Amino acid sequence: MTTRRNSLKSILGGLGTVTFGSAVSPQLSQAANTLTSYKGGPKRVIFFLQNQGFDPKTCIPTNMVNSGSLASAVLPEPIKALEPYKEKLHIINGLHGQHTSPAHSAFFGALGGYRGGDGMPPSAATIDHTLSEVLPETLLPHLCIGMDSLDNMAAKPTVAKLSARGAGQPIFMHSDPNYLYQLLYGGISTGDLRNQYEARSQMLETIEALALSEGAHLPIGEQKRYREFTSGFSEMNTLRARLEQASSHLQAFAPKVDSRYTNPEFETDWHDILLDLGLSALKSGTTNVLTIGSGRGEIFGSWKGLGIEKQGHNLGHMKQAGNPIWDKIRSYNVSMLIKMMEELESVPEGSGTMMDNTLIVYTSNNADKQHTSGKTWPVMLLGNCGGAFKTGRFTQLDGTRPINALYATILKAAGQNVERYNMSEKMAERYDSGQGVLREIIA
Amino acid sequence: MHRARSPFSWPLAILPLLAPLHTLNAEPYIPGKALEADYKSFGADFIEYYCFDCHGDGMKKGDLSLDDLGPVDETNADLWKSIWAQVALQEMPPKKKDQPEALERIQFTDWVVHELEDHMEDKGGFHAHSSPYKGNFIDHQLLFGAPPKGIKLVPTASPKRIWRVTPLEHITRLNELINTEPVYNPRTPGLRTHGDAVSVNHGGELNLYFGVDRINSWSGGTVAYATAVKSVPAVLSVPHKHGFQNYAHFSAVNSAESIQILNKAKDILKYMAYGPLSLVKYPEQITDDPIAYDLFKPEGDDRGLPSSITYNTQSIRPDSPIQPLLASASSEINRDLLQQAIIYLFERLAFRPPSQAEIDHYLTVIDDAVENVGNEEGMIMGLSSLFLDRDALFRPELGQGGEPDEFGRVMLQDWELGLAVNHALSYLKPDSELKNAITSGRMKTKEDVRREVTRMLQDDSIRKPRVLQFFREFFDYTTAANICKDQEALNKTGLKLKPEEFRKKMINEIASTDRLIEEVLACDQDILKNLLTTQQVVVAPRNEALYGIKKSQPKSTKKSEKTKQKGQKAPKTNKDLLDIKDDSPEEAREKLQQFHLRKYGHPDGFHPAKYPALGGNQIYARVGYRSFGRQSLRPNRLLVLAPEGQRSGILTQPAWLVAHSDAMDNHAIHRGRWIRERLLGGGIPDVPITVDAQLPDEPDSTLRHKMRVTREKYCWTCHEKMDPLGLPFEQFNHIGMFRDQTKSPTDTSGAIIESGSETLDGSVNDALMLITKLAISEHVEQVFVRHAFRFWMGRNETLHDAPVLQEAHRAYRDSGGSMQALITSLVTSDAFLYRR
Repeated sequence: MTTRRNSLKSILGGLGTVTFGSAVSPQLSQAANTLTSYKGGPKRVIFFLQNQGFDPKTCIPTNMVNSGSLASAVLPEPIKALEPYKEKLHIINGLHGQHTSPAHSAFFGALGGYRGGDGMPPSAATIDHTLSEVLPETLLPHLCIGMDSLDNMAAKPTVAKLSARGAGQPIFMHSDPNYLYQLLYGGISTGDLRNQYEARSQMLETIEALALSEGAHLPIGEQKRYREFTSGFSEMNTLRARLEQASSHLQAFAPKVDSRYTNPEFETDWHDILLDLGLSALKSGTTNVLTIGSGRGEIFGSWKGLGIEKQGHNLGHMKQAGNPIWDKIRSYNVSMLIKMMEELESVPEGSGTMMDNTLIVYTSNNADKQHTSGKTWPVMLLGNCGGAFKTGRFTQLDGTRPINALYATILKAAGQNVERYNMSEKMAERYDSGQGVLREIIA
Repeated sequence: MHRARSPFSWPLAILPLLAPLHTLNAEPYIPGKALEADYKSFGADFIEYYCFDCHGDGMKKGDLSLDDLGPVDETNADLWKSIWAQVALQEMPPKKKDQPEALERIQFTDWVVHELEDHMEDKGGFHAHSSPYKGNFIDHQLLFGAPPKGIKLVPTASPKRIWRVTPLEHITRLNELINTEPVYNPRTPGLRTHGDAVSVNHGGELNLYFGVDRINSWSGGTVAYATAVKSVPAVLSVPHKHGFQNYAHFSAVNSAESIQILNKAKDILKYMAYGPLSLVKYPEQITDDPIAYDLFKPEGDDRGLPSSITYNTQSIRPDSPIQPLLASASSEINRDLLQQAIIYLFERLAFRPPSQAEIDHYLTVIDDAVENVGNEEGMIMGLSSLFLDRDALFRPELGQGGEPDEFGRVMLQDWELGLAVNHALSYLKPDSELKNAITSGRMKTKEDVRREVTRMLQDDSIRKPRVLQFFREFFDYTTAANICKDQEALNKTGLKLKPEEFRKKMINEIASTDRLIEEVLACDQDILKNLLTTQQVVVAPRNEALYGIKKSQPKSTKKSEKTKQKGQKAPKTNKDLLDIKDDSPEEAREKLQQFHLRKYGHPDGFHPAKYPALGGNQIYARVGYRSFGRQSLRPNRLLVLAPEGQRSGILTQPAWLVAHSDAMDNHAIHRGRWIRERLLGGGIPDVPITVDAQLPDEPDSTLRHKMRVTREKYCWTCHEKMDPLGLPFEQFNHIGMFRDQTKSPTDTSGAIIESGSETLDGSVNDALMLITKLAISEHVEQVFVRHAFRFWMGRNETLHDAPVLQEAHRAYRDSGGSMQALITSLVTSDAFLYRR
């Protein structure tokens, strides 16, 4: 899509080398040695995390125990809609996350590959944010959306539980599509609206200056917490400036606003809209990394729109395999995965489509189940990214490689010369039987 | 001596009579002070001596070997955290083994905490010891007894800090800008009045409502009303759902919250300026004659839409300079009025007057905005920035203007001290007397604080929602509405309830328990004992069955009303109303009056319900009356004695029992843990991740039988401290109804063990016996004081706070159990007044 790429290229060229958020993570210090000869690899990555665990029985093909091709395999009921997409699919079982404390949820640890827990701040960047720093630069390097019950999404339109740009630096998921629409497409304005937009921008910059001056004399311990407040203004101001410059390009991708935005019947109305907005951000090139938290990384969630009356924590107490309730939730997830693939396939990119350069990572922030020690952590990958990833396969690992190894593998495929992700050699001695990428996954 | 010592332990061992075995320094130890010691020189020695009998040299009791433990690092941080918890809680070494002396234990646990803080600093940090859940990790006897040998305490202080406002404080603060709350009436205590916290709505949400006190009609039912009215939810978040939610270090404000605050500010400013006109589609919606609007409005189903609502013409929102300022926006801006508006708004958001520099700053912001978008929009936009001022979201306690004393502490003074005292009790800005004290230099000493706190506590018209909030967080009953009960489990109780109906009952029950606490507080004697043993209950209409009480409300008169109206053909729905378009004006008005009479009980439209005169045992509870039409959350309550032998205080209220239950059944572990932590002052280590904490799925088994799995040796070490305290509550079913033992005998036995008080330990027959034992215990009283300290100081206690805790307990006892005396003691303590 020459027009799209050229348009963004010129916008980014105008912005110079502005970066959003922190510098490249320390754990990627060796990434400066980018593999320039590398061919293929993802240009964008989508992480889709369903809460309450991902039971291997609901994704391992029927009668398959060992690794092998999916060609003649029969997918289990909850993911059977992926049958036509088996050549893009890689089902992986046997990664572990025992070091992430995934019982109930590993929270930031699920995508960070480190110890997580309720109320525990992130101890390092998470893989989605790290990728956003190494993939081709975009206006909004990283977009997170969170799906929950309607009440919760309305009352708490943003929560931060899964993604982080560094230690103690959580990234918030957007759950109110109205706010998200304003964020992405507020810059599409002219006339009076334009004046308002600029006045607001000027005001926010002044607020930021005052907030910074008011924090100058705080005790050191308090400055860190206060910095979250002041950096919020900085984020708003930087992003606004960047989206503003791209507004004419973004207009073509803005979804049509309908009554579901303000009058949703079920929470799934908003789930669907959030997905549309996330997809539009990918298709427009606004972002290259999309994180979807179904259940927002916590132990709650609601899917009344699917005819499921039970909600919240109780869903996690149920067995998933053979459970009609969980079949519905998983099938709904799968329908979203298919929609993402189809929409990205509809956008030309280079000699193929956007999907050819996209990796979708589907898993859970809870490993295999709600009360778990994380001995196995099932994952489904969709997309081969120009042949970078093996697809059409089921891989059964032996439970000695951590999820960090998967994240290092994706980074490697993205052109980064890394052997591990968020795991020191000392940690690896205990938690990783191997080193470097997962050869079973990367082509 | 159980094993050979490591070489570096010998020098200490030769002085066994002079010092504890594994301590550092000859000088008295100041608890919390960083030790100049590393793993080899200190930690390993303690571990080898006290732990290796079972966990070293090849021994792996409980599948735990410490042979390869090593210094604290990221790979073993969880294990060290567990060691810290086990040693601090005196779970380890086991009772039958050699025990470290108090000084050794304190130094070792302090050392582990410092090591974890140091080594985990760039890996998410170590904060467990600052969590309210770990407050009891300090030995109770050390706080209320003499300090152990070798310990030196220093005069206490709290850290310099900024303390973010809570969602409840924030909403209450914003509510003051747009709603006028009723003045306190001593004849109707319990009804929500000016100064009380904003209540949750009919669904349990904390929302800010716009203009609903002026609504006089709407289309459709209560759901349509709730959808149509303007409201915005709280945007600030809290990290904890249980227990104390507001330690000073908990929360900041993130960018997403800031954006939402700005958006909300715009709505608030417009309402302050224009009232309901800022909410309506048609000016005709502002009318005292809703029928006239019914005749005017476009045809069609408008249920749930803002255009379905009419507002009366009586202006009841607070007067403010915002109103005349924006009313004159079409002409040149009145600079004096603009400055007044900034001062007015700043004082109501930050609770102190702005400095001239702050005024000038906001004038500049407004001028810039006006230049871009004109007077009206510019002033609204510029004024909205005040909502994001640091002091509108955080309360500074930095000791500004004070000089450090000989211990390096600075006493709060003037506005910082005045606002700290104000915040101890109130969510409103300081009243005029407190403000005068601050501005006239009479807010600098302990006696100044005592004077103001005493005045505020003794004046019932000054509402003190923070006191109730303490009890809400201490007893932890407000989550009752969040327990999603299973339909089958509800069916088994014999009450025909759907889960959503039950949830609404619980919202009412939470308000009833609030009220019961306030009834006990009103006497201000033996507060804890009375809260644990009162035989009175506060019963909401239609919730009588939960208490086994027969309905005492008069039967509905709907039937007689219907009989009276039989034969009349009043329109029932909006659709019927369409017919009146063809009627003459007189006929149309008559039909509409009939319609309004049916719907609102008044021919002219909706009239807020009038509360009946106080009489007998009729009382009121505080409910969110703004969220639903016709006040479906009704404040009326009955204060009655529970059926004999069935209830004993807050722990037997349905709200508490349900809050400590789950979807299917009672939750003896949660109940037991609550008693262990909140009344006995004990601690329970975190659940190991290897534990799959589920009871067997046996629908026909009793909870006690299902809990047999917790008796396995691996589990019982912790569960023996919880389960026997929770199982006596089998006296009640999982929705808080008393179980008639004659009809369905249930084993309600239990026991108190390792309470720290010999008079408490022993078996109990049931929950009521258990509660009675706890209620008369001095030990329990001291634990209660510890929790009050945490709430009002916004942090966990340290050993240096021991004198403050002892004095607070003395004040409580000497006053006959007065909550006012306890609060006064805490708020005039060094821990409250000083910062370091």
